Amino acid sequence: MNYILSRNDIPKVLEMWSKTHQVFAPQKYSNFSAFLPYEGKAEQLCLEYPHNTRYPPKALFLPQSEELLSYTKDGQASEPALDAKPKLIFGIHACDTRAMTLLDTVFDAKDYQDPFWKARRESTAIITLGCDEPCSTCFCTTVEGGPFNRQGADIIMTDIGESFHLEALTPKGENLCKDLPYASAAEDRKVSNVQEKATSDMPKAFDTEGLKTALDANFDSSYWEEVQRSCLGCGVCTFLCPTCFCFDIADEAARSKRYRNWDTCMFSVYSREASGHNPRPSRKERTRQRLMHKYSYWVDQIGKIGCTGCGRCVRYCPVGLDIRAMLREAGKLPVEVIHA
Amino acid sequence: MPNQQVSPYTPIPMHLLRSYPESVDGALRSIELSFDNPADCRTFYEAYDPGQFCQISIFGKGESAIGVASAAWEGDFVRFTVQRMGVVTTALHQMQVGDALGIRGPLGNGFPLNEWKGKDLIFIGGGSAFSTLYATVLHITGSSLKKEFGRISVIYGTRSSGHALYKESLKRWHENHEIDLFQTIDNPEPNWPYMVGFVPDAVRAVKPSPNNAVAIVCGPPIMTKFTLPILEDLGFKPEAVYTSLEKRMKCGIGKCGRCNIGPKYVCKDGPVFSLAELHTLPNEL
Amino acid sequence: MTDLEMKLKAEAKRLLDEHLVDVFIGFRKENAPLHPQPAFFTNSDQLDDFVYNNLCQNNLAKFLTRYPHETKIGMIVRGCENRSVNHLIVERQHPRENIIMIGVPCTGIYDWRKITQRCGEEISDVELSPGKITVKTSKNQFEFESKELLHVSCARCSQPNPISADLVIGEPVEPKDPARAKRQVETFGGMTAKARYEWFTHESERCIRCYACREACPMCYCAECFVDHGAPRWTESMVSKAGMQTWHIIRAFHQTGRCVDCGACERACPMDIRMTYITEKLNTDMENEYQFICGMDDKTQPPFAAFTMDDKTRFVA
Repeated sequence: MNYILSRNDIPKVLEMWSKTHQVFAPQKYSNFSAFLPYEGKAEQLCLEYPHNTRYPPKALFLPQSEELLSYTKDGQASEPALDAKPKLIFGIHACDTRAMTLLDTVFDAKDYQDPFWKARRESTAIITLGCDEPCSTCFCTTVEGGPFNRQGADIIMTDIGESFHLEALTPKGENLCKDLPYASAAEDRKVSNVQEKATSDMPKAFDTEGLKTALDANFDSSYWEEVQRSCLGCGVCTFLCPTCFCFDIADEAARSKRYRNWDTCMFSVYSREASGHNPRPSRKERTRQRLMHKYSYWVDQIGKIGCTGCGRCVRYCPVGLDIRAMLREAGKLPVEVIHA
Repeated sequence: MPNQQVSPYTPIPMHLLRSYPESVDGALRSIELSFDNPADCRTFYEAYDPGQFCQISIFGKGESAIGVASAAWEGDFVRFTVQRMGVVTTALHQMQVGDALGIRGPLGNGFPLNEWKGKDLIFIGGGSAFSTLYATVLHITGSSLKKEFGRISVIYGTRSSGHALYKESLKRWHENHEIDLFQTIDNPEPNWPYMVGFVPDAVRAVKPSPNNAVAIVCGPPIMTKFTLPILEDLGFKPEAVYTSLEKRMKCGIGKCGRCNIGPKYVCKDGPVFSLAELHTLPNEL
Repeated sequence: MTDLEMKLKAEAKRLLDEHLVDVFIGFRKENAPLHPQPAFFTNSDQLDDFVYNNLCQNNLAKFLTRYPHETKIGMIVRGCENRSVNHLIVERQHPRENIIMIGVPCTGIYDWRKITQRCGEEISDVELSPGKITVKTSKNQFEFESKELLHVSCARCSQPNPISADLVIGEPVEPKDPARAKRQVETFGGMTAKARYEWFTHESERCIRCYACREACPMCYCAECFVDHGAPRWTESMVSKAGMQTWHIIRAFHQTGRCVDCGACERACPMDIRMTYITEKLNTDMENEYQFICGMDDKTQPPFAAFTMDDKTRFVA
């Protein structure tokens, strides 16, 4: 069903949801915005902010540092309690919501499940706020998504002026909307106009047709040498990325705990073996890994591109590297040289 | 009190049963671990296929991925042969009997023994990577499985006779001819009765037949590199040659990302790959 | 293209065409309007998208250590970059005779974050004119005075002019008033210890340990950074208070006498963490206690790297 949430009612409704859920919403954090627990301060909300939150909301499910276990001197391990309390993410953009569904294929795979990820996912409802004015760095429609993509959302929310239109997509979503007024037919029509316009206004950033073939065929190409020259080798692109999930596991003896911490293929220590051998010894191999993982390996593994087009890597790269430009170039590479 | 075991990141509690040097320089040691909870042992070996590995865990130090070097029939323990390299492996070398540690596993795919049934198996190994080949030979020869395979040959090379692992088993095999063992050392030594020379040359000399046979190559990269063309010359097809890969690993279950070669995770899709499979993957070893 | 850009480009072309350099390091235009990209021109045909303006935010000396000593490198240097190059020569990272510095008196780097904050809207285009910047968004057009947008390091820069470039293009720029220049360190220094710690905590707690600050810094060229060191471990691995604070303190301390206050670390940070207040304090101490300013020539070792037999204190035990 479709419902209406007037702008003025937002604090009241968030208050209501807070009674049953821990609510996370985009709020002011330093000079930008991040998904933080909502503590009744409506003036802190950043629903109108033009960009995605700078810090990626994947951290709500995969915290940057997380305890995996604690241990005693005699070698007894205990696992931290799973986070199963009901949570609600309000106002997350479609690219970030969709990223969670991609990450589910990693953390909730058929063979091994990550209980920490799974517990948080299962106890969280997601209200996606569609983007009526995508940014210049956005390219969700190029990579199988869109500003109003519904994947992973329990409710999809559309800004129709004085109010937000909420379409409940799951029973979880319906349940959250039960105290809200229904949307009128006229309001429903407004929604389709907004959604269609936003989606069709987005230019195609690069051609994905044949892109994987070109990347696979050019694994050894000098293109990788060229494309990484200005790369600093920092972790901005991967840490801010909503679909990057790599982590390191480290013991902190002083705390008697084992942690996992986000890690990145852009760091040389990431793949360096105890012997000193590194299969990805330079930025060339590491840049290649980042792009190949998203645009070739994910496709091999789950048939989908592992990028949702949120544009954070483009916007915050300290040297202005733009993955869209990199892929446009890659798409033009010759494909005759195919691996055996 | 141990908490509910729901996380694949929590190790099975173990303690050190035995630890003994394998190589003359002390760089390689075998450690045998027994399960704090005896029921875990059966679960472990029920899930185990030769060629698999474990993440050995020392709380406060970390984890290290090491191949299983024992067979279920040997007893209620798991053996690992550990090369002293980093923080964890150094700590493993220094552990005392009774010390607590843990393992996560068995992990990885292991060797496809079912596909190999009815065939001759040629195990070609060198250095510490020989451990999983040894475990596989033990697994087969120590059980009724042996009659399901053809001839079993092992070509094993080390720097010197003192560097060879599992000396007692090797001695037994030399004597009882349970398997065809071809042992080689890099340089001549007085009274050495077996072969001298590098592994690739030994393979050329032994000249295993590719007919209805599988070759399994595990050793230092340089050994593997020079052995593969010889097997090809002998007529082994890429589908009939297997190897086990090593990569930096953390989670061991295909989550943490780092051990991929193209779309395959060495920890989960490997560590065992046929040469034919490797040919389809990017060259990023 | 501005007159300055044309002259710089012509000089880059000459150096490449006459094979005086193997590579010319400058900037090129990128898609993102606020982020020109460091560029590595190896022949003059590649100079079409050459760009140089106040949005070129990286310290190009960063890239010097990527080349073998034999490579003849031409590069654009502003005041701070010139001093970075000098100091890298002191640290024997590249021989002076294989570097050709094309100097540009610098009017300061605009902090892209100030621009996005002031606009609060998605930026579609930026136009630069002397002393002014015009920003177009989807709905509006904004005009800013350049001095409002200068990065904090540039707003206090007392060395904007190249000091040992092989050629300088453009008129010298008036250095900033030193009284104003000391502001940040005085504010910080004037606080109580508790307030300083709160400030430091507030800044460092946003750290995501992406190490963009490290990678943007020309002086951070260690083959293995202390944070990546496994045995012994120097800091906690997590984004814990201790882990993040240790990183920020030790990173800064490693710059003692080596920092030219270019601010590249701060501009690279994706979490807007202020960092130069620490290095500025160290720089001030170096200047006051040892009369040393990093990079003023390419011979003098910084005080903490120079040892003499008559040093007052013993070195190690």
